[in-house]
Amino acid sequence: MMEEAEPDVSPIPSDQNSPSPSVSSSPSLSLPSTPSSCGPPQAATPPLCVISEGTSELSLVIDAEVAQRACQEVLQKVKLRQVEGDVTHLQNGAGLEAEPAADKPSKIREEDDHDAPAPGSVKSARRRQRHNPSKQSWLLRLFESKLFDVSMAISYLHNSKEPGVQAYIGNRLFSFPHEDVDFYLPQLLNMYIHMDEDVGDAIKPYVVHRCRQSISFSLQCAWLLGAYSSDMHISTQRHSRGTKLRKLILSDELKPAGPRARRDPLTLTPFCPAAAHGGGSGPLGGDHGLSPSKRTHQRSKSDATVSISLSSNLKRTASNPKVESSQDEDSSSSDSLEFDSGPPVRLAPQREFIKSLMGIGKRLATLPTKEQKTQRLISELSLLNHKLPARVWLPTAAFDHHVVRVPHTQAVVLNSKDKAPYLIYVEVLECENFETSSVPIRIPENRIRSTRSVENLPDCGMTAEQRAGSFSVVPNYDNDDEAWSVDDIGELQVELPEVHTNSCDNISQFSVDSITSLESKEPVFIAAGDIRRRLSEQLAQAPTTFKRDPEDPSAVALKEPWEEKVRRIREGSPYGHLPNWRLLSVIVKCGDDLRQELLAFQVLQQLKSIWEQERVPLWIKPYKILVLSADSGMIEPVVNAVSLHQVKKQSQLSLLDYFLQEHGAPTTEAFLSAQRNFVQSCAGYSLICYLLQVKDRHNGNILLDADGHIIHIDFGFILSSSPKNLGFETSAFKLTSEFVDVMGGPDGDMFNYYKMLMLQGLIAARKHMDRVLQIVEIMQQGSQLPCFHGSSTMRGLKERFHMSLTEEQLQLLIDQLVDGSMRSLTTKLYDGFQYLTNGIM
Amino acid sequence: MSQVEKKAGLLRRTSSSKKPLKEKVVLMYDEIFAKEDPAKNNPRFWDELFLMKVNLEYLESKLESVDGEEVQRIQDNINSLFHHCVQALGEEHQIKVVNALQTLCALFRGVHQKNKSASGFDIINMLMGFDKAEQRMKDLMERLDGLLCGDSSESLKSLCLKLLLCLVTVTDNISQNTILEYVMINSIFEAILQILSDVSSRGQHGYDAVVLLALLVNYRKYESVNPYIVKLSIVDDEPTLDGMGMVVHQALTEYNRQYKDKEEENQGGFFSTLTSMVGSMFIADVDEKLSVQTNEAILLALYEAVHLNRNFITVLAQSHPEIDIPVTPTTPTPTTPTTPLGTTPPSLDMMNNPELPLDPNLQTSNLLITFLKYASIVMQDTKDEHRLNSARLCLIILTCIAEDQYADAFLHDDNMNFRVNLHRMPMRHRKKAVDKNIPSRPLVCAVLDLMVEFIVTHMMKDFPMDLYLRCVQIIHKLLCYQKKCRIRLHYTWRELWSGKALINLLKFLLSNETTLLAKHNIFHLALLVVNLFNMFITYGDTFLPTSNSYDELYYEIVRMHQVFDNLYCMVLRVSTNTGQWKEAASKVTHALVNVRAIINHFNPKIESYAAVNHISQLSEEQVLEVVRSNYDTLTLKLQDGLDQFERYSEQPKEAAFFKELVRSISLNVRKNVSLNTLSQDVLLKEFSTIS
Repeated sequence: MMEEAEPDVSPIPSDQNSPSPSVSSSPSLSLPSTPSSCGPPQAATPPLCVISEGTSELSLVIDAEVAQRACQEVLQKVKLRQVEGDVTHLQNGAGLEAEPAADKPSKIREEDDHDAPAPGSVKSARRRQRHNPSKQSWLLRLFESKLFDVSMAISYLHNSKEPGVQAYIGNRLFSFPHEDVDFYLPQLLNMYIHMDEDVGDAIKPYVVHRCRQSISFSLQCAWLLGAYSSDMHISTQRHSRGTKLRKLILSDELKPAGPRARRDPLTLTPFCPAAAHGGGSGPLGGDHGLSPSKRTHQRSKSDATVSISLSSNLKRTASNPKVESSQDEDSSSSDSLEFDSGPPVRLAPQREFIKSLMGIGKRLATLPTKEQKTQRLISELSLLNHKLPARVWLPTAAFDHHVVRVPHTQAVVLNSKDKAPYLIYVEVLECENFETSSVPIRIPENRIRSTRSVENLPDCGMTAEQRAGSFSVVPNYDNDDEAWSVDDIGELQVELPEVHTNSCDNISQFSVDSITSLESKEPVFIAAGDIRRRLSEQLAQAPTTFKRDPEDPSAVALKEPWEEKVRRIREGSPYGHLPNWRLLSVIVKCGDDLRQELLAFQVLQQLKSIWEQERVPLWIKPYKILVLSADSGMIEPVVNAVSLHQVKKQSQLSLLDYFLQEHGAPTTEAFLSAQRNFVQSCAGYSLICYLLQVKDRHNGNILLDADGHIIHIDFGFILSSSPKNLGFETSAFKLTSEFVDVMGGPDGDMFNYYKMLMLQGLIAARKHMDRVLQIVEIMQQGSQLPCFHGSSTMRGLKERFHMSLTEEQLQLLIDQLVDGSMRSLTTKLYDGFQYLTNGIM
Repeated sequence: MSQVEKKAGLLRRTSSSKKPLKEKVVLMYDEIFAKEDPAKNNPRFWDELFLMKVNLEYLESKLESVDGEEVQRIQDNINSLFHHCVQALGEEHQIKVVNALQTLCALFRGVHQKNKSASGFDIINMLMGFDKAEQRMKDLMERLDGLLCGDSSESLKSLCLKLLLCLVTVTDNISQNTILEYVMINSIFEAILQILSDVSSRGQHGYDAVVLLALLVNYRKYESVNPYIVKLSIVDDEPTLDGMGMVVHQALTEYNRQYKDKEEENQGGFFSTLTSMVGSMFIADVDEKLSVQTNEAILLALYEAVHLNRNFITVLAQSHPEIDIPVTPTTPTPTTPTTPLGTTPPSLDMMNNPELPLDPNLQTSNLLITFLKYASIVMQDTKDEHRLNSARLCLIILTCIAEDQYADAFLHDDNMNFRVNLHRMPMRHRKKAVDKNIPSRPLVCAVLDLMVEFIVTHMMKDFPMDLYLRCVQIIHKLLCYQKKCRIRLHYTWRELWSGKALINLLKFLLSNETTLLAKHNIFHLALLVVNLFNMFITYGDTFLPTSNSYDELYYEIVRMHQVFDNLYCMVLRVSTNTGQWKEAASKVTHALVNVRAIINHFNPKIESYAAVNHISQLSEEQVLEVVRSNYDTLTLKLQDGLDQFERYSEQPKEAAFFKELVRSISLNVRKNVSLNTLSQDVLLKEFSTIS
């Protein structure tokens, strides 16, 4: 099998080798021990960088022409662009050199006519026997057309039984933008785990390649692989491909093998061809051509020793800047090089971070009361803070960052009966790239206080004007000026804090005895009535907040407007002054399977983009899900939203009245826009609920955001599963009379708009049904998830798109659904049932 | 077991004294105290000496018995002994090290015992010789530092700390201990920190290390630059500070637990009702006293940390779920080599013991909560000198806390709610509050509760004026913070205003004017109390939780107008006379202006309301109604500087207190160390069997 690889590889020896020098150039400069330890293995340098783990599975037979074409394509591109990227050393049998095909599909066109000669004649001849030109040729056309996108690729990967096609698509994956492929990562990995070897082999190079590039991709893969392997029988699971790949990733062998090319091809130009290379390799050019796996070992060992010696140095210095940062500085001279002498173990900090968050969740679950859980949570997080900042990040975030602090007192335990999900806020510093940017230096907790005292004054919830007026002075008639100047003294702390910043607490050091000094001055009078009036005014002014309830600690935290919270936490944070400071939040779920949530997220996201594409103004909010294992994960919280349950319990108002309270009278613009938002989101989620058969729709699972949108959360019961099989909730979706009231009653325009939106939404979704079905179908493979229970899941889902109905018939259907849901007794019953069993209103 | 061993040791010792035959080591000591150089005849003398089990008693008594002239004579030998002790510390043989440490202990103690009056220089000369003293002490400190930081056995480390404690406490007044000058130059601060930062060593030696640090910080505190003060004030390594906090936390927790046990014991007994009436009579029994004394050292350490180190404040709020476990397991967790900070696996502590025994009834606690509970116990009874000192120190610590912005921030943090079970003195007129019903509130409520509790319970003939002043000032500082940051704390302020607290305090001052004036300046306290009211009156809009509470304030003032009237009469009388209180009293008259304005404004209104409506006794609601409808015609005078206060500073005001406190701690530590050092014999035996 190794031989098989060689013929195809041989045409591009220079490309094969070129990464090696650049590999070695990756700066281990800061590690003095590295050169010496790297010395000996050089002698045994193999000519090719082939990782052993791939070889065991090289058993596929590939359609020669397709393979060849793909290969040529890639070669051509390499020549054309002189782009030298990471070489995936892990080649599959065909030895398809999977160079990054960048992003321009038009290039592929040019190579259409290339009739590539088969270099490895014997093997290709054998392969040719299975070749089916007629079918392939127009498939190929499709594959090479502009229209061919990730969604199609995934679909063909899943449906095609042809190894050649699969292998081709495996290669094609390289040419799609990362973000697009990332969306289908669960599908890809599930196929890798549960489908036959051909598919697996087609996918693996891409996965491995991406793992080398990115720590977060690696972890993402490892987590998903673990989660989706868990439904296998334990005996097969241990030896399954998924488990093996997971182990490989977690062993941290998949380090970047070459200069980092992906992010910015331009900077790479000087480094690309083997010969031209030199500048970057520097003093370490010696380890040219080392087998990567060996090199990795060496490197990690030396890293370990360095870290130990460093830590011993660290012991006694009271405050130490990050050790890493010094290393980072060293490397910054050669910008574009992969920096791999950073943390000794790439994945370890993040894994530990996640692990400790999970550990907290597990321990919280053992505590009986919410109050204890909350206290415990806060104390555990404060300990966690000691380990921050570190090279850790929240995978749910949309930008690169380092976590610097968890404002522990802001964390809340969420409402759950026996589990202990909790919500934490996380302060991060945005950075260019979390793998290479240096970890921020720790700033002690209280450092901020002394410097902050100036800025923290205006945050008392008053504008400057109000403050100035907060002392409405009744001046003494004899001497106006004098009176005002005294007032200034009284206000000194608020108005002119600078004067006092030297005294560290901003409370000046005058003794109370200074009262006597007033005797000489004219007295200032204030009206008691004013004081009293200000008090009640300010109390009334405060925005409507929920009352603190130890049994429902999250209500208050979630009610606070996000902007407000960000501002508040920023002020209290020692890192708050940094311009790249951001606040993120995340829900940590421990003991819950989030795979269904992830599936729902994908479907929602897909529908959202379909609706956007078709310009239907339905509104839904897919929230990000991170599956960490089959029973743990993280959820990106929806900001500025509280559950309907909390709304009702706290406000004791009907939904409409609450809208009126929050947004104003029915004719105001604020109310109307909130109402429109409500309708658009209701329509979106009604469709979602119908299509996905989302159950367990009690008010605790429906959020209401500050703009009036509803957002459904908790997709624990979808498709074929429903809670406790009580037979409740037979209606298509939840549409209570309260909802209809907010829309202006069943005869109002908004209600008709609602129904029209649903119709438009369904038509649009129907048009792109395959994109939705595909997501679900692939995940069904090898899954024991309750949502796939029974055999009719897919059929049922397909049927709900009603492909056969005309638009008129669809309209009728929508009317029926809405009618049925409105009149549904079961919805009411279910809410009552929830109230009785879970106390949810 | 140690008890048995100790007894056995005692027995042996007594029996040996009967026999004329002397121990070998005793003979060797005798040789040292002879004129000749003991090594002259026996070149291996010193080697052998440190192989012998030390006879501390004999050596110490021998040193004590040497009189003036002899000293001169044997000084060379003693210097030599000291020198060899220091050298023996570097030996590989642990027995020798142990013996050397103990011998040094005996040397320090014996020499000081003998020469109580002698100057520090004479003592140094006698022990080390002037010319070599610097080198000897440098060697000694380096060796000790090496032993403490190295991976020597735990008992050795413990012995090192004992020796240091012994050295630090040989004089009653630590500042007169001239040898410590060398300890200042050759700092062991880093070694102490290292002990505190490591989980396992902290568990075993943390207490000694913290006490040692507290004492060292107090060496010539006010006269010279003490490097330990400087260093302690800039520590910002969280694990270390945390470690220090943990040690304090544990010691205080242990005290609280003991107290509670005792209390329960008493209550369960036959006389439960009786004891609750007589109150704290039983508390002051011997055992209790002892534990209070030992805790003075810990309290001092806490004070120094809070006072000197700004970073330590964060530790106060740091909760440690693991040390809620009543019996702290001193299982030495394997010390994992710390990787560079960026890669340290988070939550080492947490991950290391995932199977934490979780008692659902346990409340997560933190140092501040434990401290408040401790303070509530200590402050119950201030008759005893030690308790009075402890109470004072508690209040000083609270003063420092109340002045710190960061501490205030977490005290008032609405997200950090705790139930704090403060101990309340059982009193005739009130039932013991049911612990279970205490709501979970921000920590500042507990501080206020504690202050109110103190104010209510200490109005007695032997008036603790100093403590009262501190109490009222703490409240004032908290109010200043709330006013500044516009924090509307949901606290039942009524408890503070009247509820037998502030107004009652004024009443007490009035009715005991003559007795109190003999000892105290009651006007200062009265001024502070009146100004608290002025804070509420003038700035209530910025920090009161409800508009109703402002009405209630007026209601209370009007209701208790007689107290204020009487106070005004009294201060007016004193201020018009010429006397030492003239000025102090006149300040109070000025401060009372708004209170009097309120009373004079509302009283007629209420009377006329009653008259118009023909009601003899107005209900609270009716009075509040009158108050509400008559605000607008009332004009108040803006008083200057109400929200300003004098910041705490140790020097010069508190210097005398701390000097005395440190002296008392020194005596106490010395007493306890001597006990402990003896029991090190046991330890030594352990060694000899192992090695």
